[in-house]
Amino acid sequence: MKNARFLSLLPSAAFLLLTWFWAAWWMGDIGLMAYENSFVTADSTLMHWLWQQPFGVLWIVGRVLLLTYHWPWVGGLLVAVLLTAGSWLVGYCLRMPQRWRFLQYLPAGVWMTWVAWLGLNVFYQHEPGRPLGVLFLVVLVCAIDAFIIWTFKSRRKSVVTADVKSKKPAVPHYSFYLLHLLVFLLCLSVPMALTHARYPYARPVTRMQVQMQQQDWNGMAETARANAHLSYRPLAAYYAVALVHNGRLADDLFDIRLDYDTLYLKDRAGKGDVGSNYYTIDCNFHAGLVRPATHRAMELLTMEGPSLFSLKMLTRCALLDHHWQLARKYLHIIGKAPFEGAFVEKYSAMIEHPELIDADPEFNVVQRTMPIEDSFESMYQEPIFLGYAVDLMQGRSKEALIQSLMANLYSKRMPAFLMRCEPLVGTTPPLSIGQGLVTQARKFPDVLKAFPSLDMEMRRFVSFLQVVQPYMQDRPRGGIELFDQYHGYYPYYYFFGNLKATRKTNTQDSSSAAGVN
Amino acid sequence: MKYKIFILPIFLFTLFLVSCTKPSAVPQQFTEVKEDAVIYPDYRDVTIPPNIAPLNFMVTDDAADAFVTQVGDLVCGAGKDGKFDLDTLAWRQMLSATKGGDLSVSVFAHRESGWVKHPDFTLHVAEEEIDPFLSYRLIEPGYELYRQLGLYQRNLTNFTEHVIYENNRAFSDEDNHCVNCHNYQAYDTDRMLFHVRGQHGGTIIVQGGEAHKIAIKHDSILSAGVYPSWHPTLPLVAFSTNKTGQVFHLQHPEKIEVLDEASDLLLYDAEKNTVQNVLRSKEYMETFPCWAPDGRRLYYCCAKVPESLMADYTAFQVALKYDSLFYDIYSMPFDPDTRSFGEPRLEVNASADRHSISVPRVSPDGRFLLFTKGDYGQFHIWHQSADLWVKTLTSADGLPSLTGEGSGERLYPLSAANSPEAESYHSWSSNGRWIAFVSRREDQNFSRVFITYFDREGQARRAFLLPQQDPEHNTLLLKSYNVPELSKRAVQVSFETLKHVVYHTEAETATFKE
Repeated sequence: MKNARFLSLLPSAAFLLLTWFWAAWWMGDIGLMAYENSFVTADSTLMHWLWQQPFGVLWIVGRVLLLTYHWPWVGGLLVAVLLTAGSWLVGYCLRMPQRWRFLQYLPAGVWMTWVAWLGLNVFYQHEPGRPLGVLFLVVLVCAIDAFIIWTFKSRRKSVVTADVKSKKPAVPHYSFYLLHLLVFLLCLSVPMALTHARYPYARPVTRMQVQMQQQDWNGMAETARANAHLSYRPLAAYYAVALVHNGRLADDLFDIRLDYDTLYLKDRAGKGDVGSNYYTIDCNFHAGLVRPATHRAMELLTMEGPSLFSLKMLTRCALLDHHWQLARKYLHIIGKAPFEGAFVEKYSAMIEHPELIDADPEFNVVQRTMPIEDSFESMYQEPIFLGYAVDLMQGRSKEALIQSLMANLYSKRMPAFLMRCEPLVGTTPPLSIGQGLVTQARKFPDVLKAFPSLDMEMRRFVSFLQVVQPYMQDRPRGGIELFDQYHGYYPYYYFFGNLKATRKTNTQDSSSAAGVN
Repeated sequence: MKYKIFILPIFLFTLFLVSCTKPSAVPQQFTEVKEDAVIYPDYRDVTIPPNIAPLNFMVTDDAADAFVTQVGDLVCGAGKDGKFDLDTLAWRQMLSATKGGDLSVSVFAHRESGWVKHPDFTLHVAEEEIDPFLSYRLIEPGYELYRQLGLYQRNLTNFTEHVIYENNRAFSDEDNHCVNCHNYQAYDTDRMLFHVRGQHGGTIIVQGGEAHKIAIKHDSILSAGVYPSWHPTLPLVAFSTNKTGQVFHLQHPEKIEVLDEASDLLLYDAEKNTVQNVLRSKEYMETFPCWAPDGRRLYYCCAKVPESLMADYTAFQVALKYDSLFYDIYSMPFDPDTRSFGEPRLEVNASADRHSISVPRVSPDGRFLLFTKGDYGQFHIWHQSADLWVKTLTSADGLPSLTGEGSGERLYPLSAANSPEAESYHSWSSNGRWIAFVSRREDQNFSRVFITYFDREGQARRAFLLPQQDPEHNTLLLKSYNVPELSKRAVQVSFETLKHVVYHTEAETATFKE
């Protein structure tokens, strides 16, 4: 009898393990980024923003549950427990006979599919507490329903006790397990296939964001290169951030595809979104544009309420701006959230000892590319981290020059690129810059005189042109077919990469832009 | 029944815990220390109105686990968080009894070695009360975007905050709107207004308990009415109309520049729903109108558009010249019978020494003109150089002064109230003894309301931060206070009424008068 009861529990245990795998391993980084884009504390002043929203209480509950994603395996386990318990309760409430119990897992599968369907909209411009809040609500309703049923059932118990006691649980038939297995596969495969097919960038991008938090720049670059065939702006943006920090920008930028497929993201109004707001704040910051990063982070805070991401970014910007009181305020607020002690401790020390800012490797890189002269954001094309670098005339360091040259190469603004190469004359330029120069050598023969070390590169370019000649009439096809052979080679990018780049996109969030304050 | 035996011990234990965490009596034995207690807000030696809410504050001392403060004869304890929540009733009685006198404040901290006593400080209680209501807008200093914002009215005698109007709480393309520029007539709320921008746009005018929405539009008007000033007695509003933009610095001590590309002055008749131009020119930008308390003169700021801009007059060019725009204060006589204005007169010539002035406000007794002076421009709340200044409008013998030398006029900063950070958007209390203004002195970013006493000689005292029930509130709030306006009465129209008018009525366009 014990064996039979154990065997009947086996499907639930299997479901728990499978959903744990899905929620922690498959969705772990997305969950962690949702946690970062969330904020929850016991302080009513700080929760006022969310509290006032429709369903605010439910979203707060969702955010509390989301806290567990600070450790994705713990968060995943919580989700798995909720899904398994919820499934059991569904079966109990609907009084499913044992042989139909495999169906009780379908609502969990629907929830998982819904979360997969959201993609990065699990948190991007949408309430991060929503998925877990909804799951909690469903489980709660089922639990209340089950409690009512149980109470009612227990009253009848005395009448039926003898009959029930006489029944012994039977050992389930193998079809019982087979049907469960099929349902489990369905529940797991649909959301995973959906994520893989519709949002193939979601997991690599969030992985890179997690690695960015850990300042694992090489890891970020490897993640991007492992997904080099994917062509999505956030992936490219975080790849560039990684290269800025590991000093490989001028060598490796064109290693991945840069053509940019649709992200299928929704903005907060439910309309299609190009996703530039997803990475602009990070890119501004890592390009040394601390003020525009502050600007965007403050707008994010305004539009979405406080989140760990916006508060942490504002803290770091305030530190680089030497606004100590402001940094102290943000750190005080972040300190109100659980599990953020390490962040608060690290950056609080910088307020007391500003020399730690220069000593911090990440800040050090950012500081080397900060503007040396004032100008206005509106003078540059959006996104500003690119627009500013493209127009840069006077930089703080060699890194600033490299960023400017690479921005011009990326934008294929060759006259501006050539003009900015002047400080490199007589040297052996970095790989991509040298390759960029040879693309212009036929038009401007003086380039080879100024950079005699590019002779070999020139020959390679001539041979490249011969090989790719047949593809010149159909460049999108050439872009795909030649990628494996020529990725990382600038002339390939010049002719076949980023073919949509000329289309200007306004990344400004103007939906509610108005007054000044 | 058997559980009852636990009730008394649990009760006593709880009582013990409570008594342990918050001491309730002044320590009898203590060591005096020389260092000042680290208190927030810093209320040391400030002058306060006798009707202000308790000045709750918090002490920070990592080495201490409990605190006691004695304010006058009022004693209050605090736990490790150091937050004092003073008894409102006792506070009120104490302040009434101390009008015109001083209150001594002692702070004790319980450290491992025992109680220590920090040096005392003083609160000066003025004779004159402050108007009991303060209206303001709360909004994130989010530069361009807004989401949840509203107009609120705080009862200064306690901690009640009443919603005047809040926009939609959840994002909605159909409903997103901003509100700004609330303004009252003569410190009363019988006549008031505020603007709605975005969806459901218009200006909400409240008169005699009724609200309606109007729109100010005409080919000759730059935009809608912007900065308002109710005439003190008549149903008239002087508006500026501005083409405003903002630009964001990349590397500058200031973060933002808010600039007018053009601005003019309008006069709106709230009874007849008519509007007319008062000053309109391309060469000058007029803004921030303000009536004299007798309603016979209109003060305003005015900048001459630099010659270099006239040739290439675009918003971008104006932005590039942001630090070459200098505003002076002018005034014009107004005849209430004919409703006509006389010739403008220069009141404060700031541009002569390359400075700039904004937000003129005349004291209720007509003796002082309060304004913000900064290095350039007119949106001084984003300028660290912005300080409160005063110009005397009457000479020593009490007669109205003339401009020019020898009139006995004085022009001076309110140094005691100012800080190294931006101060701006000030308003008088109806008795002229108090000024509420916003400042970014707390953290350079989030503006907070400060209140200063203004004595009969025209000098301010050290300003104090608007008290909150939870003294930590100001450090946690991620919104800025805008446009603090003092009033004698609470707003008479309910939020629901205003919401109905905003959402469900069409704006009635004001008739333009040539």
